[in-house]
Amino acid sequence: MKIINIILISALAFIGSFTALKAEEMTGKTIMEKVYYNPSGDDTQGELTMSLINSRGDTRVRKLMQYTKDDGKTEKKIMFFLSPADVRETSFMNWSYTDGRDDDQWIYLPALKRVKRISSDSKGDYFMGSDFTYDDLGDRHPDDDEHKLLRTEKIGDYECFVVESVPKDEDYMYSKTITWVMKENYLGLKREFYDDRDRLLKVLNIKKFEKISGFWTILETEMHNVQKDHRTQMVFDEVKINTGVSESKFTERSMTMGR
Amino acid sequence: MKKLLYMLLATFISVSAFENVNINGFVRNYSGMLTGGDNEFSVIQNTFSLDFRKKADRIGFLVSPYLKHYMNDSLELNLKEAYIDMYFDNFDLRIGKQQIIYGKAEGIFITDVVSPKDLSEFILPVFDEVRIGVTSAKLSYYKGTGIFELTWVPVFTPNTLPDASSIWRPPMPDFPVTPAFDHSDTDVENKIENSEVFARYSAMGSKMDYEMVAGYFFSDDPVMNVYKEIDSGTGEITGITVAPEHPRLFMAGGSMGLPVAGYVLRGEGAYYSGKMFQTQDPAEKNSLTEKDFLHYMAGIDYSLFGTTLSAQFVQEAILDYDSEIDKDEFSSTITFLAKKDFLREKLWLELFGYYGLNEEDALIRPKITYFFADGFDVSAGANIFTRDSGNFGQFDDNDMVYAKIKYSF
Repeated sequence: MKIINIILISALAFIGSFTALKAEEMTGKTIMEKVYYNPSGDDTQGELTMSLINSRGDTRVRKLMQYTKDDGKTEKKIMFFLSPADVRETSFMNWSYTDGRDDDQWIYLPALKRVKRISSDSKGDYFMGSDFTYDDLGDRHPDDDEHKLLRTEKIGDYECFVVESVPKDEDYMYSKTITWVMKENYLGLKREFYDDRDRLLKVLNIKKFEKISGFWTILETEMHNVQKDHRTQMVFDEVKINTGVSESKFTERSMTMGR
Repeated sequence: MKKLLYMLLATFISVSAFENVNINGFVRNYSGMLTGGDNEFSVIQNTFSLDFRKKADRIGFLVSPYLKHYMNDSLELNLKEAYIDMYFDNFDLRIGKQQIIYGKAEGIFITDVVSPKDLSEFILPVFDEVRIGVTSAKLSYYKGTGIFELTWVPVFTPNTLPDASSIWRPPMPDFPVTPAFDHSDTDVENKIENSEVFARYSAMGSKMDYEMVAGYFFSDDPVMNVYKEIDSGTGEITGITVAPEHPRLFMAGGSMGLPVAGYVLRGEGAYYSGKMFQTQDPAEKNSLTEKDFLHYMAGIDYSLFGTTLSAQFVQEAILDYDSEIDKDEFSSTITFLAKKDFLREKLWLELFGYYGLNEEDALIRPKITYFFADGFDVSAGANIFTRDSGNFGQFDDNDMVYAKIKYSF
């Protein structure tokens, strides 16, 4: 199970290696592979502010601190909830594996004062009441979909490939996604998600990105559920990459001590 | 004395503002009404709880005072926890009043024997308010993903039992004459030899989590020595003296959590030595007999369409059983939980229950919680007891509905 990633190391959020392939030689699959395999650093840390905004403009805000570490086989993430007050001191840890095993997840609830293993959430469940499902926030492997390069077009100042991805699994929660990938850095700039009746469900826009420690990093995104007119904005602050986050950060001690 | 405590609290709050101490807490109203009889209020409670917390590189502390105001206008001021942490490279030391929790069972105490319980409202309050902090020193040594913990509790703290007038006071057994009470052996003296010690090793990994625990401690619940005076001429009982005491116990056990194909299987078990049981055996002068005892649980957790589902089978077994013992040789309980959120985690529905297999009694606890805003929630629920005997059925007259409103900051 993939959960939120401070730098959104997601299928949507990578730069490419600047291989000198010409656009006309690219296929939908090679574009999405370049997105997927971009380097992202061995570890990251940062503070995430997530704003849930309903159709009336009412806003709820969640803040958390997250650390990740990836050794190529296992990606470990731990989140410390900072607000709202009733979830403060809660921590959540996820280990995901490249060999296809189910993720391992634990939660520490301060009221229970112990770390509890929990069953992996369905990938289609929404993360903390947001418009992001757990799967939206993870690394969807390009082999899971059939990709087709539809066209190239410009969004603002950025020339983009437009790639349609249809899942091989017919029971997947989306019938297809369409991704706008920037030609200059293979960073996904926009994605549309279509529901099981092929109607537009959600639109993800990347609003701010920067190069940090040599890695392109998403700093601000917005997911808009167009059917329910509900939005989730994510803003990443204090992002640090490859600072040598210790393995001991991903332990029971860290979860219970909140540090 | 109270004034002094309030002044200390006010001073602490003022100083905290300058010392970069995080202050959190909540304000809550909890009102409950019995559904039988005259719709009597069973509880009206206003709570103001604070957490003063500081975490620095090498040291930290937590102080959690609370004030509870009850419907008879009484006021309770106490500390839920108050401890200092010292952090080292491979170990931590926590000293002070603290809650220490063992095991993986939910709503059941098997190896979870370090912190005594406040049973003044049975097991109905939230569990972090049922558990009582104990003044202790806890050393935690870390190696890899494992933790070895050693806890020393110098002073014994018993469970808090319901007042004699409380609706949660279990009924006394039927005695042929009115008993006299002798509390001379009830209190455990505050001496070094009366210390309690506990050890725990826990590890977590991709295949499973487990912990092993052991403890040498006093029973948090008193056992009742019953001494009978018998008229030698008529053979009739002329007097009964009940002398509560807390026997020494040894416990060893463990627990585990295991992920299997999207499920989490949980298990926990403990062996107790030194347990005392009430008996009708006339050979026992004080109506108590000592037997070894097992307590174990198997449980499963699953998430289905966003609904958290959980069930546990729990059993107690008296070893080398004697038919004169009042308690059954095997006592079995099933627990179940279903919980789901709606409206993007603003609305939560929960159903938790216990079902006692021996007496076929149950406690059923439906609850609905709505978060009006971040940190501000309102909940309503019910505690329904079925049958009229057993752990839950004995409170059949105490079916209640309640509402809580809480603001966390």
